[in-house]
Amino acid sequence: MDLAFTPQEQAFRAEIRDWVRANLPSDIAHKVHNALRLSRDDLQRWAKILGKKGWLGHAWPKEFGGPGWNAVQKHLFEEECALAGAPRVVPFGPVMVAPVIMAFGNKAQQERFLPGIASGEVWWSQGYSEPGSGSDLASLKTRAERRGDKYIVNGQKTWTTLGQYGEWIFCLVRTSNEGKPQTGISFLLIDMKSPGVSVRPIKLLDGECEVNEVWFDNVEVPAENLIGEENQGWTYAKHLLSHERTNIADVNRAKRELERLKRIAKAEGVWDDSRLRDQIALLEVDIVALEMLVLRVLSAEKSGKQSLDIAGLLKIRGSEIQQRYTELMMLAAGPYSLPFIFEAMEAGWQGNFPGGALGNAPLAATYFNMRKTTIYGGSNEVQRNIVAQTVLG
Amino acid sequence: MDFDFSDDQAALRDAVQKWVEKGYGFERRRATVAAGGFDRAAYGELAELGLAGLYVSEDHGGLGMGPVEAMVVMEELGRGIVLEPLGQTFVTSGVIGAYAPAELQAAWLPRIASGEALVVLAQQERGARYRLDRVSATAKASGQGHTLSGHKNLVPAADQADAFVVPAQLNGKTALFLVEAKAAGVKTTGHLTQDGSRAGDLVLTDAPAQLITTDGQTALEHAVDIGIAAACAEAVGVMDKTLAITAEYLNTRKQFGVTIASFQALRHRVADMKMQLELARSMSYYASLKLNAPTGERRAALARAKVQLGQSMRFVGQQAVQLHGGIGVTDEYIVSHYFKKLTQLEMTFGDTLHHLGEVSARMQDTAGVFA
Repeated sequence: MDLAFTPQEQAFRAEIRDWVRANLPSDIAHKVHNALRLSRDDLQRWAKILGKKGWLGHAWPKEFGGPGWNAVQKHLFEEECALAGAPRVVPFGPVMVAPVIMAFGNKAQQERFLPGIASGEVWWSQGYSEPGSGSDLASLKTRAERRGDKYIVNGQKTWTTLGQYGEWIFCLVRTSNEGKPQTGISFLLIDMKSPGVSVRPIKLLDGECEVNEVWFDNVEVPAENLIGEENQGWTYAKHLLSHERTNIADVNRAKRELERLKRIAKAEGVWDDSRLRDQIALLEVDIVALEMLVLRVLSAEKSGKQSLDIAGLLKIRGSEIQQRYTELMMLAAGPYSLPFIFEAMEAGWQGNFPGGALGNAPLAATYFNMRKTTIYGGSNEVQRNIVAQTVLG
Repeated sequence: MDFDFSDDQAALRDAVQKWVEKGYGFERRRATVAAGGFDRAAYGELAELGLAGLYVSEDHGGLGMGPVEAMVVMEELGRGIVLEPLGQTFVTSGVIGAYAPAELQAAWLPRIASGEALVVLAQQERGARYRLDRVSATAKASGQGHTLSGHKNLVPAADQADAFVVPAQLNGKTALFLVEAKAAGVKTTGHLTQDGSRAGDLVLTDAPAQLITTDGQTALEHAVDIGIAAACAEAVGVMDKTLAITAEYLNTRKQFGVTIASFQALRHRVADMKMQLELARSMSYYASLKLNAPTGERRAALARAKVQLGQSMRFVGQQAVQLHGGIGVTDEYIVSHYFKKLTQLEMTFGDTLHHLGEVSARMQDTAGVFA
């Protein structure tokens, strides 16, 4: 047992740090460090910089052009990016669909789709949830009917994150009503420029349009866009979920945001208020404990010696902590988190923010936005069912 | 970065586990509580396994092991809610080995390692609560040595111990001494504590003492940190077993015609208990792995660990009783004894509020790096 990273791991960290420092555009880092609005261009600029280096698919194996890093190296890479103020990589292409294409796609599909994902050129979206299918995803109804060498797709997806920018979407669609709901689902890649696809952004409680509804009205999809076998899509989707792993805890971002919370508390004159300060101290303990939990999972992955039944805990704890730090930031600003000035969340805004503390402008919006974390990706209540299963059977 | 246990550590765990399962049943424990909360024979059996000498160097007849091995042992003792205070032996042998002059080490460490001498930390004073910088016992030079006067409370197994490690004021600062139980001017009393183990007062009146170190504050803080790490590990064992007992009960007990483990309200509570257990285990690892870090880093880490462990202990203990229903509040059924052990451990070497204050006072910019 040893808490310290090995000299090789430390050297690896230093190399990543130097590279990120030299290549992360400072205007983007500024926005991330201050929770200002990120544009499509910001996100894609960083994705392409990573893509050029071969690190957008940083978890990819070597045979598909990835760096072939182990679990600890991936963690260190993610940590250095987060601490430097890099935006989170939009996961739908490189983190979610790519591993499915690698594992279950045919050679032609791999050659056609993976390069555009690896380079950051093509924006992917995820088409899973439907108005009637949230936690009970297998009840989904969007239909794909085979006609000759095409599928005809009809139905509606929702909560499609950043789908307004999407060029391609990977969808779970129903191809059969036989048997259990899970057995009639297929995994289909759809060009969002196809006739019959329409996208409507949904305005959320923070005023932003982070998610969308996507309709499919007699959309023709070439049968060659089917991944693997028809009616096996549920299996592929589960494989995808197993690839989310430790990153879902987002402990690296929590560490960065804890420092921001301390800065806000100092700027607002409440750093020495013991009632607030003790809450920050508790959060610090929570984050250290989450980090230790993450490191245990990584260590087990690296050595392969012990099997741990604790990965399910990461999503629950990580999401609770994300909510907690945004809540404490808002409480630290107190009444000066009340002004909700949409333009003030834009970098370079020159207006007068009440009280003058422009840094407080996005605090409420971020707090509102983070309510999603205990809902998406399998609500925390669903996660608790899974954890209870490991203890009680 | 590596959280795997070595083969030797796994073998150590097996040996202790075997003793707990075969040698330390609930009935033996119950009899020990009835007889006052300490069984010298049981402590002797731990010593026979070599455990009293875990921190003692091989030169002095010990195993020369470190914090991770101590953690492994304490987890297993926690699983059996063992009453005899082996953690105290880790504390006292640890500070004697690190701070005492060579003659004192040579005289005492072999006796500690063999189990012949039980040496405990006598640090608690009325008015100090959990603070280590408030010591009112006094020491003065006397011939070749020193004499001590003062009144200590809650000394583990006070009237059963052979010697005490005692902080006292010497020339305006805290020094650390060793006092023998049989020395003149030493009086002890005994009583039970919450968990059924034994403690007592130590009253010193010009009692002869041997100096361990004049830098008593440093040594005392180190001693308490060894104690915190041991308490954290012990608590992980207690909680692990508590959750297992609870899960078994939920899968056995039937109401409304079904096992109560089928009720989602209870399942979610179990998930929350599992969360607290694993956060606690993670921070227990952190505590033990930071025990040899530089002082400031070590103190900060151990305080963080105790905050997590304290919260986890409270939650797991209380929920285990709740999930058992009526049987959970009886003395006859085992889970209430696990609950009481957790309650006591939370308040051992500083409770959650105390350590939260420590974390809060030490909190600074970390540039996002903790480990």
